[in-house]
Formats: sequence, structure tokens, C-alpha cells
Amino acid sequence: MNTQRTLAGVHDLELVTLGRTGDRAAFGELVRRHSSAVRALLRRMGADGATADDLAQDAFLAGFEQISEFRGEGAFRTWISRIAARSYARRWRREARAELLADGPDADDPQAGFGVGVGADARIDLDDALKTLSDPERVCVSLCYGVGLSHAEAAAALNAPLGTVKSHVKRGLDKLRSHLSPDGDGGQRRQVSG
Amino acid sequence: MAESSFEFQLERMFAESPAAPDRELFTLRVVERLDRGWTARRVLIGAMGALGGVIGAYEIIGAGVTGQVAAYFVQANDFLARHVAASVSGALAPGGIYVDVQAIWLAGALAIVAAGFGLARLVREI
Repeated sequence: MNTQRTLAGVHDLELVTLGRTGDRAAFGELVRRHSSAVRALLRRMGADGATADDLAQDAFLAGFEQISEFRGEGAFRTWISRIAARSYARRWRREARAELLADGPDADDPQAGFGVGVGADARIDLDDALKTLSDPERVCVSLCYGVGLSHAEAAAALNAPLGTVKSHVKRGLDKLRSHLSPDGDGGQRRQVSG
Repeated sequence: MAESSFEFQLERMFAESPAAPDRELFTLRVVERLDRGWTARRVLIGAMGALGGVIGAYEIIGAGVTGQVAAYFVQANDFLARHVAASVSGALAPGGIYVDVQAIWLAGALAIVAAGFGLARLVREI
């Protein structure tokens, strides 16, 4: 507890440097700071709660092993989120959902979101809006806008054709725009309920 | 990735994530798994070292190296007793006091220990 208080004010990059020397308490502080974001991202990609937690744990353990590869060019959160997102993409691809990606259907496949107990409207809106996307659209949009992968990087992570990923992203964006814009479906629903 | 204001807004919305209420518990679990992995690694390295030591000792004994070493030791002891001890006795104690060969062995061992300490100190300084 005392160590945690000491590390609370330390910058991420210094914690990473300590983590490189095998300091598990320092890495634990990084986990404490960024685990919520990683878990939320995985849920937004479509993972259920338990899967998201397992994958997030594995991502942090992998991050600890590979920490020498983090050169501090971007934020630690982005780096660890990309490890987790790629891991989910691999798993998603394995679990017989690849044909969905190849066929590019528009069918909705709503899954549990992370919105429970969330205070900010924007977060609830995004979680709700993502539920209106098909599985492939949700994964592709999350890879590109949740962790900032390019279309090509997302295609490589999913082992899918670039054109397929681009079309899923475009369809997903159109649905999100329609749901999240003030005059879209989501806005109308909020006005009605409000 | 973002090219329009909507896409920037979407990236910002993704970046905003709630602090999970069980954040501390989650952290504890990850650190526990890190510690377990670390301990397992240390045990594995120790066990491999012990196993390597046992195999090495077995090979040395099997090859009859210990007998050869003992023979060399006896030869060295004889040489020291015949030549070095007499010379050292003559140099250090002209009055005829005899310097035992065991004292020379002891002095050699102490010199090696002192050199070891010196080397360790040097490494620490560097």
C-alpha cells in the first residue's frame, strides 16, 4: 500500500523503466492505471466480461515480458491496448467468426457492453451505438478507432482482405454516425426518453 | 486514422473509459500472476542448475578425474616439500627454522581468497 502511494505520482515512462528491471510493483501501478481502459476496449470490441478480463490479464503479462520493446514513442496505454486488441482479434478469428468477416453480412449481433454504472453520457452512447453494429463492423471499427490501427494493420491483425476491412469500417462508421448524431436514431430516442 | 470531425470525436469517445470498480482487485490478480511466474522461473533455474551440477559431478567422478587430481596434488605436495619449502625456509628463516609445506598451501589459499575479495570489490566499483 505504501509502495502504491509512492508510485502514484510517478510518470508512466519511469514506471516502464522500473518495469524493465523486473520491478513488479512498478508494473502493477501501470496495470492499476490502465486496466480499466483495456478491459473497456475489449468489451467494446464484443468480448463478454470474463473473456475481456482474461484477455486483459494476458495482455498485461505479455506486456511485462515484452516491455523492452516499448520505446516510449506513444502512450503506454495505446501500446498495451494494441496488444490486447490484437489478441482479441486473433481469438475472434479463430472462433469461427472468420466467415462473417469474409462474407461481410450486416446482421446485428448485440453483446453486453461496459456501460453499467457509467456516468458520462458519451460513454453510454458509444456503448449503445456499438451494439447496433455487426460483429465484424464492431471489431474493425474498434481496431481502427479504439487503438488507432490503420486499415492495413487491422486487416493484418484479422488476416482479412484490406477491402473487406475497409467496407466493414465504412458501414460501421455510417451506423455510428447515424446513431450518435443529434438528428440520428439515437438522438431521437434520447429526445423521446428525455 | 481519423479524417473527419466525427472520426476524431469517435476516437475521443473510445479513449474515455470508466474506472472499473474492481480495478484494485484486477491489479492484484495480475501482480499475483507476475509473482507466481517470477517464482516459478527462479525455481526452474535453480533446479536446472542443481541438475547440471549433479550431472557434472557424476561425469567428473565417472571419468576418474578425482584420482588424477589427487595424484597431481601428491606430486605438487612432494615438489613443494622438497624444493619450495626448503628455499622459503632458507630465505625467511636463515637460523634454521623449518617452514612446513602446509603453511605454503595455506598461504596460497589465503592469497586466492584475497584475490577473490579484491576482484569482487573491483567489479562492485565498476
